[in-house]
Amino acid sequence: MTNKALILLTSVLMSCQAQKDQSNELTCWSANDNQEIEFIRTSISLWNKGQETKVSFQPIPEGQSSEEVVMAAVVGKTTPDIYANMWQGLVELYSVSGVLIALDTIGDFKEFITERCGQKVVEEITSSDGHIYQVPWKINPIMTIYNKKLMRSIGYENAPRSYSEFLKAGALFYKDFDEDGYPDQWIGDTEVKNIWHQRLMNFYPLYLGASNGAPLIKDGKAAFNNQYAIDVFAFLQTIYLNGYFANESNSAGSDKFIGGKLATKWTGPWHVSSLEKFKPDGFEYEISNLPVPDNHQGPIYTYGDPKNIVIFNTCENPSEAWQFIKSLINEEGDLRFFTTTRQLPRRINLSENPMFQSFFEKEPKLKKFAEQSKYIYGTDNCEVLIEVLDIISQEYESCVLHNKKTPKQAIEDAERAVNVLLGNF
Amino acid sequence: MNNGFSIKPYLLIAPYLLFFLVFVLFPVGFSFFLTFHNWNIISPMEYSGLDNYARMFNDRLFWQSLRNTIWFLVIHIPLQIIVALGLAVLLNSNIKFKNFFRASFFLPVIISGVVVTIMWQQLYGFHSGVFNHVLSKIGVSKIGWLTSETMAMPSIAIMATWKNVGLYIILFLVGLQTVPASYYEAADIEGASAWQKFWFITLPAINPTLFMVIVFSTIGGFSLFIEPYVMTGGGPLNSTLSSVLYIYKQAFEFFHMGYAATLGFMFALIILTVIIIQKRFIETKDE
Repeated sequence: MTNKALILLTSVLMSCQAQKDQSNELTCWSANDNQEIEFIRTSISLWNKGQETKVSFQPIPEGQSSEEVVMAAVVGKTTPDIYANMWQGLVELYSVSGVLIALDTIGDFKEFITERCGQKVVEEITSSDGHIYQVPWKINPIMTIYNKKLMRSIGYENAPRSYSEFLKAGALFYKDFDEDGYPDQWIGDTEVKNIWHQRLMNFYPLYLGASNGAPLIKDGKAAFNNQYAIDVFAFLQTIYLNGYFANESNSAGSDKFIGGKLATKWTGPWHVSSLEKFKPDGFEYEISNLPVPDNHQGPIYTYGDPKNIVIFNTCENPSEAWQFIKSLINEEGDLRFFTTTRQLPRRINLSENPMFQSFFEKEPKLKKFAEQSKYIYGTDNCEVLIEVLDIISQEYESCVLHNKKTPKQAIEDAERAVNVLLGNF
Repeated sequence: MNNGFSIKPYLLIAPYLLFFLVFVLFPVGFSFFLTFHNWNIISPMEYSGLDNYARMFNDRLFWQSLRNTIWFLVIHIPLQIIVALGLAVLLNSNIKFKNFFRASFFLPVIISGVVVTIMWQQLYGFHSGVFNHVLSKIGVSKIGWLTSETMAMPSIAIMATWKNVGLYIILFLVGLQTVPASYYEAADIEGASAWQKFWFITLPAINPTLFMVIVFSTIGGFSLFIEPYVMTGGGPLNSTLSSVLYIYKQAFEFFHMGYAATLGFMFALIILTVIIIQKRFIETKDE
């Protein structure tokens, strides 16, 4: 009996060891999105045909959020070798904790990324310790989509460019058809829930636009107590005080933009697919920059919503993993990604690259987002960025939505709280 | 009589004991250990002494979340009891389609909480919601069901009552059916009104059920999470930030496991105190 148990135990241990020795196999997780699954699956089958190291794939397991699932995998040491969908704002937390591979230590990584994305992006993704832990992969720039007919109805050929133009358009478009004292159509709307990531869709892109891509955090301190942030709060506060934006959650009711109740919408390229699918006959829309302060000079930046690729330190063959990632993000890989998912690869001069022109001819709306990709910023490399955004979100709600504070006071309070957070952490 | 040692009883309790050790005792012990540490799950733990406790006592949001939870209980428990008891009394009488109504009232209990909250979010919409549409039609001002600081928590309490009332109707029905019919017959002979029969016979007779419902509602109410998480995110102005939602945010959004464990222990202590008070009160009543 004892001998049998010993033999069984030895075989189990040996099989575990055998599993561990299979370093010529890589595992990859992707987002749980049908198009991305299709892209990764196709890319893997192409790779596996010609390579000795095989890649296996699965969409990220179901969970409350992908962040939670990745966190659980890190704790349980069950992370994949490669994860393709890491929000840029979380990379610093993981890199400081030592669970990611420093990619700049691998062969041609830095040259390849600099050539693909440009020096500015390389600087943006370099962590506080001087290493790079992420492969810049895809972006979804936040821009204004506007209903051309509705804008024409108030005398505008394009979406309002400046804050004062936007407010003027808001007043012109405000209509109470049923005379119940409340508007029935709005110049726009944006999520009113006090959730940190919602500020990446309103405050943050407007702040980047106003400030030409200035950071929120610099040298370990809050860097957003400036006229740009105050102006953004004041602009949004005026909008809500006058009822120019709908004061309810985006998840209440049907899509107001498709329903013709909103003239503009701040959103990303993912909205184009759903508009093309569900728009009613005769619905015309166009894409433009977000509004900026009246005295703004130069190009208009926005938030790029970057999602990147990382290699976890559980990977036994990082060089081979990097070779596989290169096959995902070279020109052919990027074109395949773009056409399959309609999300933009983070590539320098994307809109001018001859390789993508035939796709832009078929999808002219996406070209606008590609043109914007020259002027995007991701996130600061801050370990506690989620809390920073939560603090800003608290002040946003208090000032912009409920008029409990002046914009100056709200930004000052946010700065103070963020500095306490950064000092204490 | 065999007084010798037998392994059988231990084997019989082993499955539960194992479950208890792994899923109750270890997590509770580990959480308590965590309260003295800073830990973001992926970095090594750092000993922090009583820092988490000190932080908790100065944390405005934690105390606000506690006040919000108590405010929710103050609205939700009486509302739940009044609606459940009223409907149970009706369903216990000789009305038509009794079984249909019993099943209908129970239906929301078995529907997923997320589905219910999304559905009610549509009903509560300021511009597009059904409730405000009806109010507008009858000339009443629209209400910021989920966007007003004062209305958001009562709106959530109303929804929670709708979701859970079926369960408490069943409990009250069980209690009502144990009241002897002879009490009512005697009251009829004495010429008692329906209200007098309810107040002097029904209510005292179902007292144990009533207190059981209060205890269940209290425990259920303290764990308020999914409704504010989905509907309001804790807003507006943190007016629907429940204690459990705040603990969740600290643990799984900000990854402050040590601090979240500290809040969790404090919260468990508060619930325990409330339940002990309720238990004492019930025992005093029974005596």
